[in-house]
Amino acid sequence: MSLENILENFSDFRKTAEDGGHHDYDHRFAMSIDLDICTGCNTCSTACYAENNLPVVGKEKFEKGQAMHWMRVERYWQEDDERDFPEDGAQFLPMLCQQCGAATCEPVCPVAATYHTPDGLNAQVYNRCIGSRYCSNNCPFRVRYFNFWSYYEDSWPEPLNMQLNPDLSVRDKGVMEKCTFCIQRIRTAKDTAQREERALVDGDIVTACAQACPTGAIVFGDTQDPSSRVSKLWEKHDIHRGPFTQKKEKANDEVRGYRIFDELNVDPSIMYMERVRDTEV
Amino acid sequence: MSVKVNRRKFLKMLGWGGAGTALTGCDLPTTVTLEEGKEEVVSYLMPEEYAIPGIGVWYASTCTQCDSACGIHGRVREGRVLKLEGNPDSPISNGKSCPMGQAAVQGHYNPDRITSPMMRKGNSLQAVSWDEAMSALTSKVGPDSGVKGDRVGMITGSVSGHQSVVIDELLSQVGSKNHYVHEVVNTSVWSAVCRDMLGDDMPRLNYDKAGVILSFGADFLGTWISPVHNMGEYAKFRSGARGTLIQVEPKMTLTGGNADHWVPAAPGTEGALALGIANFILEKGWNTMEVPNSVRKSLAQYNLDAVEKVTGVSVNKIKRIASLLSERAPSLVIAGDSAGNHENGYDAVASIMLLNLILGNVGNTIEASAKFPEKSLRAKRGNTKDLLLLSKALKDNKLDVLISYNTNPVYTAPAVLQVAEGLSGVGFKVAFSAFPDETTLKADLILPIHSGMEDWGTHVPAYQPADESVMTLQQPLMEPIHKETRGFGDIMLSLLKLHNKDYEKFADYYSYLQAAVANMPADVTGGVSGPSKDLWTNTLQKGIVKAKAAANALAPKLVDMRFKVQRDDSGYPMHLIPSARLGMWDGRHANIPWLQEFPDQIAKVVWSSWAEVHPKTASKLGVKNGDYVRVTSASGSIEAQVYIHKGIHPDAVAVPMGQGHEEHGRYAKGRGVNPLKILNPLMERRTGELATHATRVKVTNVHKHEVLVHLGGSETQMGRRFVRTISADQLRRTEGEA
Repeated sequence: MSLENILENFSDFRKTAEDGGHHDYDHRFAMSIDLDICTGCNTCSTACYAENNLPVVGKEKFEKGQAMHWMRVERYWQEDDERDFPEDGAQFLPMLCQQCGAATCEPVCPVAATYHTPDGLNAQVYNRCIGSRYCSNNCPFRVRYFNFWSYYEDSWPEPLNMQLNPDLSVRDKGVMEKCTFCIQRIRTAKDTAQREERALVDGDIVTACAQACPTGAIVFGDTQDPSSRVSKLWEKHDIHRGPFTQKKEKANDEVRGYRIFDELNVDPSIMYMERVRDTEV
Repeated sequence: MSVKVNRRKFLKMLGWGGAGTALTGCDLPTTVTLEEGKEEVVSYLMPEEYAIPGIGVWYASTCTQCDSACGIHGRVREGRVLKLEGNPDSPISNGKSCPMGQAAVQGHYNPDRITSPMMRKGNSLQAVSWDEAMSALTSKVGPDSGVKGDRVGMITGSVSGHQSVVIDELLSQVGSKNHYVHEVVNTSVWSAVCRDMLGDDMPRLNYDKAGVILSFGADFLGTWISPVHNMGEYAKFRSGARGTLIQVEPKMTLTGGNADHWVPAAPGTEGALALGIANFILEKGWNTMEVPNSVRKSLAQYNLDAVEKVTGVSVNKIKRIASLLSERAPSLVIAGDSAGNHENGYDAVASIMLLNLILGNVGNTIEASAKFPEKSLRAKRGNTKDLLLLSKALKDNKLDVLISYNTNPVYTAPAVLQVAEGLSGVGFKVAFSAFPDETTLKADLILPIHSGMEDWGTHVPAYQPADESVMTLQQPLMEPIHKETRGFGDIMLSLLKLHNKDYEKFADYYSYLQAAVANMPADVTGGVSGPSKDLWTNTLQKGIVKAKAAANALAPKLVDMRFKVQRDDSGYPMHLIPSARLGMWDGRHANIPWLQEFPDQIAKVVWSSWAEVHPKTASKLGVKNGDYVRVTSASGSIEAQVYIHKGIHPDAVAVPMGQGHEEHGRYAKGRGVNPLKILNPLMERRTGELATHATRVKVTNVHKHEVLVHLGGSETQMGRRFVRTISADQLRRTEGEA
């Protein structure tokens, strides 16, 4: 996708789901995260640090909100809880880029550094990014992380730098970054499939978070492939691609699936499944 | 073969001395290279032969971040290990991992690794050559050292497999019985009760079969026994006919955060609550096992009103818990730190175990585990009893030589035990260590060892969840980063060679392990089902060895139930909870930057220590989030910022273990406080364990404030409905058992 192409066909790249979307998708990578079996243990987050060359920023920068955790696990306490104790435990939420089908971050980028791929990903072109941070301002999920500093010296003193994953870059100051659905793993799997002269099959690609998750709460796959696990889960929970048309907050009250901020019509690629608590106890 | 060795002796050396083992024909084990063409080289020892630029290759090994012994796969590219994942062939990890396992690479590549042998000369440690280091070592623990018997001691973390065999062998050559095995995060009291009441100190727990799990402070999703394995079983427990989790504990652990019902019984009263539930079950006749009248009689004092008074858990709630245990049978009742680590912790855990007996869980959700057939390879699990024994030995000046490996007692011992001071009285201290931690820097001789990803080893998991027992192989995932580090097994082997000529036929620890595995009995298989021709190759590929275990059954037995809540009028009103957490563990991982920047699962605090208090306690103290408080026990005091939340009993203050290092590298040093330092030297009466949860403290406001650095802008969802919750009833209707 050249810059010239973008400038000439800018409006094509801003199509919402109602307009038929951006692409004839090759794949639409998606996830399902079961909040009932997610324990909030943070393995996914650490696995993401290991896979994606995420820098450690230190206490002072963490305090300023400059931590680079593409995958973070939020913990919420129940609000307006009159009880003396949180009797049904805590609420954990793995939060990462939702790879929206009609992403609010994409149209605001003045240089088209953030754009939509034929795989349904919100890609970030680091070399093109000028650091305007409009995209992160516009993201309702707060999952875009800006390199306020250069971390490559402080964060990986020798020989820690030997651990860096050569399949992707270390980003420098002034660049926005975020979860890529482990695009380097997608690339490798596609290359392997091509070499073996076959199509991608479900399970060829596993993101670092999904692979590490000790309870298997995270399922990654392609919703274009109806036989994939993630497609079946979406189907079972009545979550479908496209605009949010229901008046209700959830597509189907009878099942657990929902998408966060679905009502903003951003068509997120991550389906969460409701946390369950035995209220009978 | 110049040295004559008989078969029995040979097998004993290899850690398989039991009768009935068959010695298969084998060549003299040596290290051979691919060039010599003598054997297939499958491990990553020859990078120039195998490194294909751009292609990541996966090798099986074992994680050494805690003592669970999870099987792992390491991704190796261009001769570097980049990432670890669980090994799907390992019944411990089942292809999964935990934050500590993910962060192991940062231990391996840590910038503060020790890179050359060091010796104390005068008051400072100076780098020396290996020759000098080894001759110093030999002069103290070699055959001609003159130092013999119990004046030599060794302190290690949990150890198993052939590392355990060579340690045993060295100590037996020296004639010492002093092997202290120390871990702060342990399950010693639980194991003691299991041994006495079930006849198996590490029974297999079938979480997935349970309809309800009642856990008294057992953080099985975080720090209890084998967390990665447990989390996999937990997922099964929650699927299908979703099981119910009830967690009784004074401070919300990761497991508590996932409970359907979190019950903050007053700290130290868990045993009374368990007996109250048992009494009610017996009264209602819901028990499936009959108990003698004497037990009934002694339980009668635990009537619900009395129990409510002691524990603060309402009569209705106790009744509800009891009826759930019976309605949703089978259940599983377990106990962890906050129940067992009191002076009467054994009694509390025995009272809790009684529930399993009367509810008929034994043989159902609790079964006998598969024990690895060869005893000398089985896990020696760390405890705190040995820490107390060591501190006594140091005080009484009983040791001339102390060798430490894979443990940090100077950091983990309460200050009053004076372990650091006592060590100065030991003539010669040797540390096998990769990191400059507190204990290592106290040593007279530091031997820099390989990281877990550079060394050979075998591990027999203490907790064996499968029908066949397993031993897992640890193999190097890359060449050592630093030229001057050596393998633990290699150093031990070169010491053993001086004592016992039989070891001379092994060029190195690798060839020793190779011979040991190749000579295992015929029914041991290399990670694939059925016998295999080449056990060693199979083991390298799969990372595990499977051994048939004798079928056992548990033999439930009642012990004397006599739980009494401990009173304390010492003027220290609060209970101190030194909480363990998945990530920092006991503080060994404080040198890993990812785990420092890793928000605690409950408090979400990063890069420091904090004290958790209940809002009621906070308002009494007049503190808000981030204010500093002083936590004072009879043995000392620490200061930390408060994090206020409702997931803690108002009479308790929890300070997590892990920070407060005086050494241990740039990321750990001088950060936060160590709650273990102010523990009183109280002992669990039956097991001799350190009663880590028995220390009473007072908390005072020191009127100092800093921003508490933690993840998350708000403590609640502010109506945004990110995490939505439904009732289990609805789930059963829609997804349910069908």
